[in-house]
Amino acid sequence: MSDILKIENLSVNFRSEDGESEVVRGVSFSLKSGETLAIVGESGSGKSVLAKSIMKLLPHNAYIKEGEILLNDIDITSYTERDMQKLRGSVLSMIFQDPMTSLNPTISIGKQIAEAVRLHSPKMKRADVKSRVIELMELVGIENAEERYNLYPHNFSGGMRQRSALAIAIAQNPAILFADEPTTSLDVTTQLQILDLLRDIQKKLGMAVVFITHDLGVVARIADRVAVMYSGKIVEIGTAEEIFYDPKHPYTWGLMKSLPSFAEKGKELYTISGFPPSPGDLPKGDAFAPRNEYALRIDYEEMPPMFKVSDTHYAATWLLDSRAPKVLPPVRRDMNV
Amino acid sequence: MIRENPFVYYGKKLFVFLLSLFILSLAVFFISRLAPGDPLVSYYGDRVEKMSVEEREWAENKLGLNESLPVQYGRWAKNALCGDFGISYKYKMEASEVIGERIGNTLVLGGIGFLLTFVLALGLGILCAYYEDKWLDKLLCRVGTITSCIPEFWLSLVLILIFSVNLNLLPGSGAYSIGNKDDFGDRMLHLVLPLAVVVINHLWYYAYMVRNKLLEEVRAEYVLLGKAKGLSKRKIIFRHCLRNIMPSYLSLMAISVPHIMGGTYIIETVFSYPGIGKLATESARYKDYNLLMLICLISGAVVILCNIIAQIINERIDPRMRESRHIEEGEVAENGK
Amino acid sequence: MSEIILDVRNLTHHFGIGKKLSVKALDNVSFAVKKGEIFGLVGESGSGKSTVARCVMNILKPTSGEIFCEGINVLNPKEFKKNKKQLEASRQLIFQDSASSLNGRMTVREIVSEPMKIHKVKPPRGTFDAEAEFQLFYVGLDKSLLDKYPTELSGGMRQRVAIARALTMEPRLLVADEPISSLDVSVQAQIINLFAHLRCEHNCSILFIAHDLSVVRYLCDRVGVMCKGKLVELAPVEKLFASPRHPYTKALLSSIPIPDPRLERERVMEKFDYDPKLLSGKLREVSEEHFVLWGDEE
Repeated sequence: MSDILKIENLSVNFRSEDGESEVVRGVSFSLKSGETLAIVGESGSGKSVLAKSIMKLLPHNAYIKEGEILLNDIDITSYTERDMQKLRGSVLSMIFQDPMTSLNPTISIGKQIAEAVRLHSPKMKRADVKSRVIELMELVGIENAEERYNLYPHNFSGGMRQRSALAIAIAQNPAILFADEPTTSLDVTTQLQILDLLRDIQKKLGMAVVFITHDLGVVARIADRVAVMYSGKIVEIGTAEEIFYDPKHPYTWGLMKSLPSFAEKGKELYTISGFPPSPGDLPKGDAFAPRNEYALRIDYEEMPPMFKVSDTHYAATWLLDSRAPKVLPPVRRDMNV
Repeated sequence: MIRENPFVYYGKKLFVFLLSLFILSLAVFFISRLAPGDPLVSYYGDRVEKMSVEEREWAENKLGLNESLPVQYGRWAKNALCGDFGISYKYKMEASEVIGERIGNTLVLGGIGFLLTFVLALGLGILCAYYEDKWLDKLLCRVGTITSCIPEFWLSLVLILIFSVNLNLLPGSGAYSIGNKDDFGDRMLHLVLPLAVVVINHLWYYAYMVRNKLLEEVRAEYVLLGKAKGLSKRKIIFRHCLRNIMPSYLSLMAISVPHIMGGTYIIETVFSYPGIGKLATESARYKDYNLLMLICLISGAVVILCNIIAQIINERIDPRMRESRHIEEGEVAENGK
Repeated sequence: MSEIILDVRNLTHHFGIGKKLSVKALDNVSFAVKKGEIFGLVGESGSGKSTVARCVMNILKPTSGEIFCEGINVLNPKEFKKNKKQLEASRQLIFQDSASSLNGRMTVREIVSEPMKIHKVKPPRGTFDAEAEFQLFYVGLDKSLLDKYPTELSGGMRQRVAIARALTMEPRLLVADEPISSLDVSVQAQIINLFAHLRCEHNCSILFIAHDLSVVRYLCDRVGVMCKGKLVELAPVEKLFASPRHPYTKALLSSIPIPDPRLERERVMEKFDYDPKLLSGKLREVSEEHFVLWGDEE
């Protein structure tokens, strides 16, 4: 499999009255066609901004400071809005967290999907468009598509709306789908249905998915590879097995340990002390150091580089340096579960 | 979805219209009579002061002012239903005749002014929103704010001075040149300056409203989804955002009909334009009851009618308004299952 | 531990939609919260769990049913009026979205001390400021935040302020309507610990409404499962998770994602197709303290 998307040292800054804030800081990763990369992080970690900067859907006050975005080995970093319009929908596509607000409330679902269908093939006949829309609606699991064509978003439940948004996103068979917390606002049962649907569609269309979430349970279900973000940086990246069964970064340990499903009842839940730093006011050295119980002195001085653990597994922590004291990972589980 | 029988639907609207007019007539009738002042003054002028008690009684009896208010209202309503709105005390002729000559002028000035304001404000608002924070938007915002602060009478006088007195291009007073009562072109020429004042005065208020509503809408998440599927900014604004701000814009415009149409009093005075604006203030001042009632009813009817039309259009645009089945607080929104 | 603080009996509420239609948001819901207990109420959106919270807090008047709060029938207008002061102090509500439930134009200091001012309570620690400072300290916030506005705080901090505000009146019953679902994992853990701590130290009873079952499993003592306005299963938390009896509970439990890729990828969700037959009948005790909604014919 080849890399269809390669991000090199990407940094995104936000301008505000109080000055600049670095929201994404030197992120690099690559995506193979057909695979699912989950980006995990808390709010404010820059995971959503990262996806939007690749789609060039950043708000006015944000800009790409440096770095390269290579799509099929073509540098699209300096693409204009017009160039991007050709890519969006057909090569890159995206769905969002809240299916309530991401659909236009005054246009029927069918028409909103039809708009996406017609966009890149404007000469399509009306009847063909409609049959394609119905085909898409059936593909995302909307039953009785013909009858529901003329319904409006508010007639639909949250899950149905997210299915519709998905139909819009995959209308042009994109190569990469960015899914920005698509199941966060849904019920657990609906969440599972949407996740399984996404996996099915991904297999059928062979598209790569970048799945942004803060829920490690969801990650476990859907991800081939996982990137953990903290304060705008990827602190650890690896295959799902590597991240879940052999995490190397103290922040990943913290995330895993604070999950109620791992906790013993009656015992206090593990917490990462303190709060994440604000992107406008980052500490010197490793941004996680003040909250890190394993922090070394160098963590407060110098940002750790990405240390290689295996060919697929990298982590940015000085604990992996050969001179660092050996720390037994508190959440390491048996690899043969 | 509920589709109502059109007869029932429009019948309901007509009923609301008539009921509103009835309530309005009641309110105007009783409130105008509660205000201090002597209606005989407008009929007899200064002679009233010299009248004896018997003469006064006779005069009041003649004008039907000595009966109790409900009886007076009953008689007025009965006559009004037959198309007889009584005589104007001041002009000593049928109130409908007094108005008939002038209402056309006001409707032409106010109506065209209203339509021009409506269309231009929409265009200007879209322009500003499209070029948000670019130099064009900034320039328009500044100029707009300044023009909307200029007092009407001053602007009217300046325009008359420039275009009528100095350049001698356009007529500065009246609705038509003497002897040219039926000349369409002449009437239009006379309208140019008053119209300019009406439009300049109101334009920015509404354009700014459109601009801000659009900008609010552009920040909505469905715009991101629209962009993600590859729509251009122009298509998003025209196909999606504009449609969604129309309901609130139309409602606003419907409410402001009297503001623009009735607010022509000063303009009518400065341009010596024979409209009903001046008539309305005078009739209220001199307690010319029948004339006042008729003017209030006509302007009331226009306002109510505009509101009903706006409502009908809004229901066409926004499906949520026409469905009474909308469900509260999402507690039971499970129609998608 | 067996004293009952909140007793909800046969609570039914209909939302009228349109002229003829009405939806049963709550249908004959009965449960009791014991003193010092964390009672979890779980279900999907639309199951009516938030409606229960609103009825308990007298925000919504149910169609029928009774709610006793420390023995006071809060739905009886006379009794409610007489005991209003006491009730308002002893019950407190925490919302899901602290961003919109805190007044953005008030400082943290004003927010936290407002309940005492409203109820004209003399602050136990001398001044209102000292009291506000103490409450912030208690929920783990620095006193430097006292003069900040809610918009300047992060979601986790705001939720703590909301909790601090609720705690100033030293409530005996806390109704928490999805208090952590909008928070990040690491902050969630801090708030969960705070709730556990509250129960231990203050013997405060909590009606904990949530859709995250792993949190409920960790935190709660007993759990009620709601579906379409019905309470379908009620059991101590271990029993519910070990041997769920109602098909809906089974489906709900099977849909919790497990943060373990190998287990998670293989897992298949159980289906529940909202069969009205399974949603009718009465709650019956199947084992000790374990109640399940059972159809009449069986």
